[in-house]
Amino acid sequence: MTSEQPLVLLEHARKSFGGTPVLKDISLSVRRGEVVAVIGPSGGGKSTLLRCCTLLETLDGGRLAYGDLVVAEEDAAGRAVYAGKAALKEAKTRFGLVFQNFNLFPHYTVLKNVTDAPLHVQKRPKDEVMEHARALLAKMGLAGTEDKVPCELSGGMQQRVAIARALALDPDVLFFDEPTSALDPELTKDVLKVIRDLAAEHMTMVIVTHEMSFARDVADHIVFMDGGVIVEEGPAEQVINRPQHQRTRAFLAKYEGE
Amino acid sequence: MEFATMMELLLSGLAFTVQIFLVTLVGSLPLGVLVAFGRMSRFKPIALVTRFYISVMRGTPLMLQLMALMFGPYYLLGLNMGGDWKYWACSIGFIINYAAYFGEIYRGGIQSIPRGQYEAAEVLGYSKLQTFMKIVLPQVVKRILPAMSNEIITLVKDTSLAFVLGIMEMFSQAKAIAASQVSMLPYVIAGVIYWVFNFIVEIVLTRIEKKLNYYHD
Repeated sequence: MTSEQPLVLLEHARKSFGGTPVLKDISLSVRRGEVVAVIGPSGGGKSTLLRCCTLLETLDGGRLAYGDLVVAEEDAAGRAVYAGKAALKEAKTRFGLVFQNFNLFPHYTVLKNVTDAPLHVQKRPKDEVMEHARALLAKMGLAGTEDKVPCELSGGMQQRVAIARALALDPDVLFFDEPTSALDPELTKDVLKVIRDLAAEHMTMVIVTHEMSFARDVADHIVFMDGGVIVEEGPAEQVINRPQHQRTRAFLAKYEGE
Repeated sequence: MEFATMMELLLSGLAFTVQIFLVTLVGSLPLGVLVAFGRMSRFKPIALVTRFYISVMRGTPLMLQLMALMFGPYYLLGLNMGGDWKYWACSIGFIINYAAYFGEIYRGGIQSIPRGQYEAAEVLGYSKLQTFMKIVLPQVVKRILPAMSNEIITLVKDTSLAFVLGIMEMFSQAKAIAASQVSMLPYVIAGVIYWVFNFIVEIVLTRIEKKLNYYHD
């Protein structure tokens, strides 16, 4: 892989649900070490974009590649044609996803939530996986919770477990789908801090968020989506502080004073 | 008749009762999984056939189903199934009847697992089989246990329906003794034994429920 090649490359993505277009010709490119924040009103297509990138939804049209690995290619008719099973499986090792509702496995302990996939999907050696998991949990401020089950933890802690679970698979890029939307403002802080720390370590991330000041601080690049299109994108500071487009300005005005 | 003789007869009946109970569980608990998946199948013919089967099993009396299995082969096909057929008819009848109920309970449990659990497993790279066995199934077991307890306790009592096939389980024994001795006592004792049986079943199921109480969702 050359260093210029983007880790995630989405081109001309189209997606409709029951005839209603949700993504209209979306292109997104994420370079190694880059943090991209996706902002915009609800129903603007942000989550669908993330779900298409993480293979939870299939594109109707467009192209998707993870580095040198082509996941979906457009055919002559403009339909997205997906790669074979093996390639899709390989692609899944390249990204992680953190959900709005954590989606931890409630019947597993914290440690098992983090270690089960590395052990039984990636089949990595147990000692290495355990050590990595404990280090990740400690980094998330979760040392001592290894043997608890998710329901014994606060929402903020659960979300940090979910982040550790995603990181345990050593993904190239981590996607976040409104990681703090299900949390009380009090608990939001710790989750945002963890993401900030990851950004400082140059973890490649794509974050759908409603936290504007956080987006401005942590992201290199901000994408503003509305109505299934990218209305405006650019350097974080520019999009938040000097938005060019009327719709961006109107949207950001609602968050002013935050 | 001496009390000891009466107890001996009733306990020999209990042996059949327990046997019907265990055979039914061993057969219908796994068969129910097949029923649940058949019912949820995206292949329409399978889903429809399974739905019809469940509807018949739940919609007609178990006693009638047992009779149909017992005498159907002879009346419909002229087949003489031999003296042991009643035990086969009994086992098959109970198993396919209970599999229908269990299948519906399983289905309810499987469909109650949030979408997000499947999505999390998918993103982490779990295979379909791994997702079901490791993520979905353990959570389903916990969710369906109260409903399953109800069915299992009903099964203990339903074993008495085997009397229509001439199987000498406990209820048949009680009935026979009561008739010959003109006494209420065998019914009372059988009733107590059924209750004790179910009391043990309750204790076992409660213990499993407690064991799964280490988490909630």
